[in-house]
Amino acid sequence: MRTEAAGGIQLFLPETYDLVWSAIVLVIIAVFFYKFFLPKFQSVFDERAKKIEGGIANAEKTQKEADEAKRKYEEQLNTARVEASKIRDDARSEASHIIGDARTKAEGEAAQITANAQRSLQTQQQQAMVKLRGEVGTLATALAGKILGSKLADNSVQSTMLDQMIDDLSGDDR
Amino acid sequence: MIGVSGVGISLAAGSFQVPSVDEFMPPEILFQGTPFALNRIIIVRLIATVVLLLMLGITAARAKLIPGRWQGAIEWLIEFIRDNIVYQVMGELRGKQYVPMITTLFMTIFVFNLCGIIPGLNIAATATITMPLLFALWAFAQYWVAAVKGKGLGKFLKDELLPAGVPWPIYIILVPMQLLDIVLIRPFSLTIRLFANMISGHILVALCFAATQFFLIDAANKAFIGLGAVTFVAGFVMTLFEAFVAAIQAFIFATLSAVYINLSYPE
Repeated sequence: MRTEAAGGIQLFLPETYDLVWSAIVLVIIAVFFYKFFLPKFQSVFDERAKKIEGGIANAEKTQKEADEAKRKYEEQLNTARVEASKIRDDARSEASHIIGDARTKAEGEAAQITANAQRSLQTQQQQAMVKLRGEVGTLATALAGKILGSKLADNSVQSTMLDQMIDDLSGDDR
Repeated sequence: MIGVSGVGISLAAGSFQVPSVDEFMPPEILFQGTPFALNRIIIVRLIATVVLLLMLGITAARAKLIPGRWQGAIEWLIEFIRDNIVYQVMGELRGKQYVPMITTLFMTIFVFNLCGIIPGLNIAATATITMPLLFALWAFAQYWVAAVKGKGLGKFLKDELLPAGVPWPIYIILVPMQLLDIVLIRPFSLTIRLFANMISGHILVALCFAATQFFLIDAANKAFIGLGAVTFVAGFVMTLFEAFVAAIQAFIFATLSAVYINLSYPE
């Protein structure tokens, strides 16, 4: 009992060797934490933060680039669409223009052909008329000669008669 | 101690090994009589130091950007001490320079305390007054240095000894009390809190298992076997409780150190 009672006080009195060892141990551990352990982990934390920040920045950059590209493509698509519709309109108007031209030209040609045909028809009619007149004259002269015999030998008579006859014919034609 | 010894004697004529405070003053084993004498607790302390340095040293040396589970746990602990103890108490700007100190205190006290429940060591490396005293003196020195650097010594003493808003006659009692507080009570409360917790924890666990040993094996009367089972369960629970106490004492010591240092700075 006496030793224990003495020990009760001893308990709170540090021994020299205990102080020495405690101090040695504490200094070693403190140096370890101050100089190695915490700086090492701090660098790991910093590197990690940097990497994450870098990753986020990268992602943002990529996103921006993608947005930019999308905007550009849409713009190009729009331009192309407008251009296409313009080309279509142009083509349509040109086509109608061509058709109109062709129609005008064809109509003109057709009119000319008709006119030509009519003209040649008229010419032929006239030629036929002239020819007919000649032939009819000859025929009639011959016929009249045959009918009247030699009575009509006189040229003047013959001519007068002929003219009269033709006039009559013409009058019948009308 | 007398009471406990009395119970031991009444139960079994001497064969019941009652744990006593002598266990915290073990005989010197090596280098007896020199300033480098080793006893059981100091050997435990050296082993704990080596284990702590190896464990954390290897973890730090192998630390990777993408942590594994173990590294993740250590990182969690580092961040817990930094954010939940230092920055919580002092704020980030002021606390930054004290993170290594508080981390050292927390980790060392935690590992040293845990030795008390590690089979083979069975006694906390903080279970002599010297180790907690050194930790406390470190905190003490830091808050005085901080006082001189932060507030200036005069302003610090004035704030601590003559708190504003107190009628002057009260100062007659208050000044000595406050002086006692900043000079003695703060470091010694830190010391005694940790030391006493380790002593009582060890005695409780040892008592439970000593009783178990006695009731189950040594006692001639087997009627006490049931009681032995109870003391075994109690010892088991106390062991777990000691693990909890090891952590909570480390937390309290680290937090109070941060608080004391913070008191030395102007608001």
